[in-house]
Amino acid sequence: MLDTVREIETPEGISLHLRAAGALPRAQAWMVDLVLRMGVFTVAMIPLSLFGAGGNGLAMLLLFALMWAYWVVCEVWLDGQTLGKRALGLRVVNADGTPVTWLPSVVRNLLRVVDVLPGVYGVGLASTLIDPYGRRLGDIVAGTMVIHASDLPTGQQVPAAAAVPLPLVLAADEQAALVEFAERSGQLTLQRQEELANLLTPLTARSDTAAVRQLIGHANWLLGRP
Amino acid sequence: MELERISVVLRPRAPREVLDLGAAMLRANAVAVWSAWFAFTVPIFIACNVLGVLLGLPWLGLVLMWWLKPMFDRLPLYVLSRAVFDRAPNWRETLRGQRQWSWRSTLAALSWLRIDSNRALRLPMELLEGAPRKQRMARWKVLRRRIVADTSLLTYGCLQFELVLFLSVWLLVLLLIPSEWLPQSLADFFRHDVRDASTMWTLLGATVAYLAMSAIEPLYVACGFALYLNRRTQLEAWDIDLAFRRLRTRLQALGKVLGVLLVCACVWPMSGHAATPADAPPKPMVTSLQQVFRQPMDSADQRFATAAAETYRDPRFGGEHKLRKWVFKYTPKAATSAQPILFPAFGTALAVVFKAFMWLLLIVAIGALLRFAWRWRGRLAPTPAEPASALSQSVHASVVADAPLPADLAGAARALWQAQYQREALALMYRGCVEQTARLLKVPPSPDATEADWLRQAAAIDDPARAQRVIAIVRTWQFAAYAGRYPDDAGIESLLAGWPAQTGVPA
Repeated sequence: MLDTVREIETPEGISLHLRAAGALPRAQAWMVDLVLRMGVFTVAMIPLSLFGAGGNGLAMLLLFALMWAYWVVCEVWLDGQTLGKRALGLRVVNADGTPVTWLPSVVRNLLRVVDVLPGVYGVGLASTLIDPYGRRLGDIVAGTMVIHASDLPTGQQVPAAAAVPLPLVLAADEQAALVEFAERSGQLTLQRQEELANLLTPLTARSDTAAVRQLIGHANWLLGRP
Repeated sequence: MELERISVVLRPRAPREVLDLGAAMLRANAVAVWSAWFAFTVPIFIACNVLGVLLGLPWLGLVLMWWLKPMFDRLPLYVLSRAVFDRAPNWRETLRGQRQWSWRSTLAALSWLRIDSNRALRLPMELLEGAPRKQRMARWKVLRRRIVADTSLLTYGCLQFELVLFLSVWLLVLLLIPSEWLPQSLADFFRHDVRDASTMWTLLGATVAYLAMSAIEPLYVACGFALYLNRRTQLEAWDIDLAFRRLRTRLQALGKVLGVLLVCACVWPMSGHAATPADAPPKPMVTSLQQVFRQPMDSADQRFATAAAETYRDPRFGGEHKLRKWVFKYTPKAATSAQPILFPAFGTALAVVFKAFMWLLLIVAIGALLRFAWRWRGRLAPTPAEPASALSQSVHASVVADAPLPADLAGAARALWQAQYQREALALMYRGCVEQTARLLKVPPSPDATEADWLRQAAAIDDPARAQRVIAIVRTWQFAAYAGRYPDDAGIESLLAGWPAQTGVPA
C-alpha cells in the first residue's frame, strides 16, 4: 500500500507515524520564509541607510544572520518550525521523530550550500523529488526530516443518540471505522450514508435509514455515552 | 470501480499532504509513466521544432510544446489511474488506451481553458468520470470546493519547479565553463553569440525547457490526481467504505449460526422487553464510565487487599514518617516598585557603562587565571612514580655511595650491564676504581673528590699501566654520565678485565 508515512516503533511498542512532507509544501514554506526575511531586511535598511558605512556593515551582519542563523534559531527554539513552516504546518524533526537539536539543525542548514547548487536549489529539488521521505541532501546527512505537524482534518462531533450495544466484540480498527462513520456522516449525502450502512447489514440486520441510526447508536455506545 | 483493489492508503489528509501522496504515486510508477511520456512526446517535440525551423520561426517549437501540455497530461493520468486500481500499463497499452478517452475535454483545455490554473483537478474529473455536460458543471462545483486554492498553488508551484530546473541546467553549464572562455560581459554574449546563432540557441533552450517539463509535468498530473482521490475520499468516505467491506466479509465468514444469533441480539434491544428470547445473551447495561470501571469487591480483591496490607507492613515501603517544615501563614506579596525612574536615558547609559565594566572584569579575571595556570603549569604536575621492581631496588642499593662494594666487583658490574642497567654498571665500576685507587695510594677516600681529582691522583700511581686504566675508566664514566655516550660490550669487557675491577689481579 502506497503512503507517505514513516512508521517508527518505540521500545514501548508504540508506533509513531511521521507524515513526511515533500517538495511542494516545503517549497511553499521556503517562499514564505524568503518573503518574510526580505521584508525584515528592507524595513531594517531604512534606518540603517542613514548611518553610512557603519550602517552598511550592520546591514551585512543582519543579512548574514537572516541567511544562516535564522533557520537554526527558529528550528531549535521555535519547536522545529521556521515561520514559513509554521504557516504551512510543517516541522523539522530528527529521523527518529525526536525534536531536532543543535547539531543536526546546524548541519542541515550548513548543507544548504550544497542543496542550493547551482544557485536556484536545483540539487535540493531533485533530491526532494527522488527521496521517498522528501529529504534534501542536508536532511539526509543530518539525519532529519520535515513532517506535516498540523492536525488531520476531522469530522464533527458524533451526533448524540441512544447508545446501542454492539452484539459482538469488534477489533480496534473496526470500532474506529464505526466512530469515523458517525463523525463524518454529516459530510456525506443521505444516499451515501445509507449505501455505507447497508454494507453492514450482517451487523445491524437493518437497512437504509434504520441502519444508519443504529450505526450511530453503536458509535455512541463505543464512546461510552448513555 | 472496485474500491478493494486500490493500492493507496486512504485516510483523510490535508490537501498539502495529498501533494506528497501524488509524488509517492509517481515515484512508484516512474518507469511506466515516463516511458509512455517520452514515447508520445519526443516525436511531437521533434516535429514542432522542425516545423518551427522550416517556417523560419525557431521559437515556435518552444511555444507549441508549452501549448500542448494539456494533451500530454493524458498519459501520466492514464498510467496512474490504472496503476492505483489495477496495475501500471506499459507504454504501448497507454498509447492505445488514449482512444478510450474523449478528446472533447482536451480540446477545451487546449483552447479556452489553456490558462486555467485548476487543470490538474479538472483533468481526472473529465477524463475518468466522463459525465454529460450539465452534470459535469454541478460536479465540478462540488469537487473544487475547499481545494481550489490548493490546486492553484499546485499549478504555480510546478511552474516554479520547471523554472528552477530550466535555470539549473544553464547555471550548471555556466559553472563548469572555465572563466577565461566566458565572454567578457553578458550583454556582449547576447549581442554577438546569441544573435549570430539565434536558431541554435533557441532550439537549445527549447530542448532544456522540454526536459524540465518532462520532469515536472507528470508530477503536476499526479498531484492533481491525488487531490482528486482525496476529495472523493472526503465526499464519499472511501476509507470507511473499505473498512466496512472488510468487516462485512469477516462477519459473513463467521458463519450462519452466529449470524442468526446476531440477528436475535440486534433485534432484541430495539423490540423492548416484550418478547425476550430465552437463549439471548444478557443485555449489557453499561452506560457510564464509572459503571464501566467500577470493580466489584469479591474474594480476589480481598486477597489483593491483604497482600497490599502485608506489603505496607514492610519497613521499606510502609511506615509513618513525621515531616516538619515551615509554611507561610499568608502568601507574601511581591514588592512593588512604583518608584518612577527619573532620567531613563542617563540610567541606560550608566547601565551600559557598568555592563562593559563587568565584562572587562570578567576578561581580567579569566586572563589572570590563565597567567596563573601558565606559571604553575609544570610544578603542580605529579612526579612520575619510580618503577618499584625488586631488581631496580637492588640496583639502587648497589650504586649508592655509602653501600659496601660487592666482593666480585667485575661480576656485579657485568651482570648490571647485561641487564641493561648500563649507567648503574659504569657507576659501580667507577666507585670500585676510585676505592682501589685510594687504597693503592693510601689516601683517605673523600666524598667530595671529583672525577678531575681522581684523574690527577692517577698521575701519582707508579705503575703507568694501572694509571692508564684508571684514566680510561674515569673518562668512560664521564662520557656516560655527562654525555650519555656508552661504550660497546667489547669496551666494557676490556675495562672489567684486570686491575681495579678484579682486585688482586695484576694489570
